[in-house]
Amino acid sequence: MSIEAVTTALTTALAHGGEPRAGGTDVMARRGVGRATGPFVDLGVVPGMRGIEWRPDGSVRIAAMTTVAEVAVELRDAYPALAATAGALATPQIRAVATIGGNLLQRNRCWYYRNPAFSCFQSGGDGCPAREGDHLYSVVIDESPCVAPHPSSMAVALLACDAKVEVHGRDAVPVAELYSDDPSHDHQLAAGEVLLAVVLPPPFATEHGSYHRAIARAHAEWPLVEAVARLELDQDGVITAAGVAVGGVARTPLRLPEVEAALVGAHADEDTLVAAARLAEQRCTPLPGTKYKVTLLVDTVLEVLARASGVPCDIRDHARRAD
Amino acid sequence: MSEPSIGITVNGTEHQVSTDPDRPAVDVIRDELGLTGTKLVCGAGVCGACTLQLDGTPVASCLLPAAALAGKSVTTVEGLAHPVQRAIAAHDGLQCGYCTPGFVVEGAAFVDTWRAEHGDVAPSREEIAAALAGHLCRCGAYDGIYDAIAAACTGAHDTVEADDSRPPRVEAMEKVTGRARYTTDVQLPDQLDGAIVRSASAHALVRSVKAPADTVLVDLLGADRVVRYLGQPIAAVAAATRAQAAELAQQVVVEYERRPAAVDVEHAQAPGAPVIYPTKPERKAAPNSGEGVPVLPTSWRGNVRGPSSMSWRSRTAVKRIEEAKGRNDSKLFSATFTTPVQVHTCLEPHGCVAAWQPDGSLVLHMSTQAVGEVAERAAKRWQLGEGQVRVVAEHVGGGFGAKTGLTVEAIAAVELAKAHGVPVRVVFDRSEELTTTGYRPGTHTEVQLLADDEGELAALTMDTHGDGGVAIGSGVAALGRLVYGTAPRRLRDFDVITNQSPGSPFRGPGGPPMAWAVERSVDEMAVRLGEDPIALRRRWDGNKKRHALYDWASGLPVWADRPAPGAQTGRFRRGVGVAAGNWMYFLDPGTTVELEVVDGVVVARNTVQDIGTGIRSVITGVLRDELGLPADRVRVEIGRTTAAHGPTSGGSRTTTSVAPAVHDAARLLRKELGVERGSIVDRLDQANGLRVRGKRHRDRRGYLTPFAMNGVAVGRGMSGAVHVTEVEVDTRLGKTRVTRVWAGIAAGRVYNERLAYSQCAGSIIQGVGFALHEQRHLDPATGVVLTDNLEDYRIPGIGDTPEIEVHFHQDGWDHVTGGGIGLGELATLGVAASIGNAVRNATGWSPLDLPIRPDRLLEGIHA
Ligand SMILES: Cc1cc2nc3c(=O)[nH]c(=O)nc-3n(C[C@H](O)[C@H](O)[C@H](O)COP(=O)(O)OP(=O)(O)OC[C@H]3O[C@@H](n4cnc5c(N)ncnc54)[C@H](O)[C@@H]3O)c2cc1C
Ligand code: SF4
Ligand code: FES
Ligand code: FES
Repeated sequence: MSIEAVTTALTTALAHGGEPRAGGTDVMARRGVGRATGPFVDLGVVPGMRGIEWRPDGSVRIAAMTTVAEVAVELRDAYPALAATAGALATPQIRAVATIGGNLLQRNRCWYYRNPAFSCFQSGGDGCPAREGDHLYSVVIDESPCVAPHPSSMAVALLACDAKVEVHGRDAVPVAELYSDDPSHDHQLAAGEVLLAVVLPPPFATEHGSYHRAIARAHAEWPLVEAVARLELDQDGVITAAGVAVGGVARTPLRLPEVEAALVGAHADEDTLVAAARLAEQRCTPLPGTKYKVTLLVDTVLEVLARASGVPCDIRDHARRAD
Repeated sequence: MSEPSIGITVNGTEHQVSTDPDRPAVDVIRDELGLTGTKLVCGAGVCGACTLQLDGTPVASCLLPAAALAGKSVTTVEGLAHPVQRAIAAHDGLQCGYCTPGFVVEGAAFVDTWRAEHGDVAPSREEIAAALAGHLCRCGAYDGIYDAIAAACTGAHDTVEADDSRPPRVEAMEKVTGRARYTTDVQLPDQLDGAIVRSASAHALVRSVKAPADTVLVDLLGADRVVRYLGQPIAAVAAATRAQAAELAQQVVVEYERRPAAVDVEHAQAPGAPVIYPTKPERKAAPNSGEGVPVLPTSWRGNVRGPSSMSWRSRTAVKRIEEAKGRNDSKLFSATFTTPVQVHTCLEPHGCVAAWQPDGSLVLHMSTQAVGEVAERAAKRWQLGEGQVRVVAEHVGGGFGAKTGLTVEAIAAVELAKAHGVPVRVVFDRSEELTTTGYRPGTHTEVQLLADDEGELAALTMDTHGDGGVAIGSGVAALGRLVYGTAPRRLRDFDVITNQSPGSPFRGPGGPPMAWAVERSVDEMAVRLGEDPIALRRRWDGNKKRHALYDWASGLPVWADRPAPGAQTGRFRRGVGVAAGNWMYFLDPGTTVELEVVDGVVVARNTVQDIGTGIRSVITGVLRDELGLPADRVRVEIGRTTAAHGPTSGGSRTTTSVAPAVHDAARLLRKELGVERGSIVDRLDQANGLRVRGKRHRDRRGYLTPFAMNGVAVGRGMSGAVHVTEVEVDTRLGKTRVTRVWAGIAAGRVYNERLAYSQCAGSIIQGVGFALHEQRHLDPATGVVLTDNLEDYRIPGIGDTPEIEVHFHQDGWDHVTGGGIGLGELATLGVAASIGNAVRNATGWSPLDLPIRPDRLLEGIHA
């Protein structure tokens, strides 16, 4: 089926409350709790929607239906932080099916939104029961009437990579433009628009990358805070370029330019990394139940900076604000 | 609407299935193709029970649309013949077996890929954990799974070794091949599926219930027509499929006269709170969360019931503590400890298939811990005579206390089956399972613990408020009577009634919360006295069996090497903690076991059900040992109504009730056959039809209870346990990892060491969940349970499993027939407390609230 045929099918489906379906892992989970009713239009039938293309200029085009598992394997050398993110999210069975497009466009995981007993901004209502209720896992940067953190781990990594997305019928736009503080949507594609691919600019000359999520169990848990760092280091250990982004903390995945600015041009040592990571704190406006995420944000950023640069930061107890 | 037809190859066979393309693939595989090895547990991609291979790659079929199967090759557990199956059986990487098909399907793919890439070498624990991160096992069989996967990767199970054909669990091969049938898998001709209409109000009088015309509606409300919690069963309906039944249930209109509700303990205790049980009859009818122990009458104030006291010289205790306060005695430790609501989370949901027979009798297939009890109560309820109710629970996917009695799924199934004239199945979904089927009540305990100048225990007070919803009977402080000698103590239990579903018994009811308060307090006292925590316990605890365990524990190298309390400053801090536990000895003294020789095979019969504890294997083992029989000459028929009464699998009474009766029966069979020693195998062919009935003989000096109540007697003596636990705390990101656990268990003779080990390991893993991860969250405004799925209700995964060592101290139970008592509850009591004490040892911060979540840890250590 051609992309045009699919968009036509989508128009009909949308009129009946439907939506596109890629791997289906989010769609089917929402169907189970009454937050997706169909009809669903499968995107897998469109030729060319899957696969990774390495371009002569060093950039990479990842078609939207490429699975998260494929990204984890194929991009390991070129974009280690992105691959690590892909390899750490959800579970092996989910990664085998989930697509990069579906990951970027999945709905949030707020336990109020996903419980049919409630109605809220995200489900067509006009309030946010989480804000007054149990919001232990909600945002720490409170800039939207909806306090559900954006769920996409891939978006965090792609932001740090300066990626763009191709949407059918439009010019490519930066991945950041998919998201906003809009309390009623988790992404900004118009209904019926189809995401075709993600395009990554060439990696740094010396690409060092790391992904980490703060969680209580060993695996398969949604991050309290997650962070991605990409660093380019010269022979003297000076940071020449940086991409740092975080998730689990705000309505959108967030790039942290202030942290990057504090890194670029500095020698990668413990003091630099700690000082840079601490800048993330200034953004925080915690809810009553998410104060813990302030230090967790700073320390998760520090964790990925330390791992990406290879500078151990475990000796001093930076978490104590006294030093 | 006609449904499109899709072509799929399943286990090598091509099928054309017409189905809604949006249906989850798991339903197509189970319901259309009848391949019930694949299980549906969470329906949310979390647990992996539904895993199948799609063109060789493991995927979660509950989130896979049927459309995605078209043109693919699917392999289910039934289609595998893989060394990993023998490996899991051989290493006892399973208990109830409900999660097992998922682990097998994933494990097979992982082992093949691993060997292709790395050769026949064992992967590390971390590599195995990452590969199996998409699977959950509530029984906690992870330890055996690690060993099994590692062994399969080395090629150790490529050929059928002698060992593989005799795994520690006799039904293991059925479970690893997907052949084992659970209640959820029963499909009788003409069977309908039922669904429950549940209350959408937390507190209301139900005025009317209206179903669409021609719908058979079965009433499930009590005589007072009042619903007291969200999700309370109101009625039931049935239809051809579960989805249709659920849809029908949605169409039922319930008219409520709403009453003010108190949805959590805070609301319920606030001045002017609505009183949930205002009258005596209502209070009397309240459900009980205790373990079959009748509750004594006590007073009520609004929604607070109590105290029920188990005090001993309470005035002396209070006087001493008041005096200590007056002089600011540093040897008085006071604190408030809390524990969360913990939900059983059996992977097999509650379910029952009811089938009325032409002769008016009733057959129930039921996922239950209490075949005998269910049969009795069903007979009474539906006025059936002796032998007119047959209950079958061939395999049961976990219980942990949640599956006793004649529960609502059975009542609904029976009534619907009666009304429709066909068999009806009622199986709960995960949300129902996590919100309405019981839980360990939450607790709030104020403790005061006083030591005298000699460092002896001088006084103890405990006031516990239990959070068991509409249920009464929280008994936590009461258990403080059974520990640390006879020093004066005031022990008071209260229930705070809320508009929440009722709590219920859960593995060692009251025990883990009691240990959390007392064992944490004893450790704080050890710090104050500057004494080794094991030495202090040894001094305070008069129990001889536990003395042997203290000696063993203090001799562990990890104990000798433990860090000085609070001495570390780096990011990662290691800590070692200890906790003691003890438990009562329950048994069912009326247990009998029948043996019959049938076609050269000794058939053992008893109603007892195997919920993963391994009683089927214990019976088999005893018979083979006692009678010198090969495997194919013994058959165990349990989990069904028979004349040979067996215990409910609760209160750790299964093995100590059944195994001695098997011994007795074996002795009688020998006598009948006239074979004094050696194998009886040669005599079997001439003995067809020979029957004997063995009894569970009375213990020396009898029991503490003069007669059994509800099939339970309390035997003499207390079992003992000591847990030593090592943790690593990441003080920066707030993560606590339990790295190693040593469990010392004094419960007498161990009938089957491998199975007993598995029980203990599972208990430890559930304790890790209780300590670090598990918590029911409620919306404070409406009382809706937010953790109604396995993503938000967090149970430990394989990567959270510590390395485990279990030491059995088997002496001291000579007065017990058979020489051994139960351990399934004992082994979980002190786990969370030992973890808390280890965190205290590592960080210097004293945790008071469970679970020790990252936010709490960070707040605690930065305070
Ligand atoms: C246990 C578990 C843990 C998880 N943990 C994480 C985690 O840590 N981090 C994380 O990021 N995710 C996590 N997930 C979510 C998972 O990654 C997403 O469900 C998955 O990535 C969605 O991809 P999909 O292809 O299945 O999307 P689908 O379910 O098919 O689609 C998702 C949404 O995107 C739309 N859509 C999909 N593709 C397109 C397209 N090309 N154009 C337009 N619209 C499109 C669909 O209409 C739908 O609304 C977890 C999931 C589970 C079950
Ligand atoms: S946080 Fe967002 S998704 Fe959750 S209840 Fe509020 S508006 Fe809805
Ligand atoms: S049932 Fe599919 S992952 Fe749990
Ligand atoms: S054996 Fe895994 S859930 Fe019971």
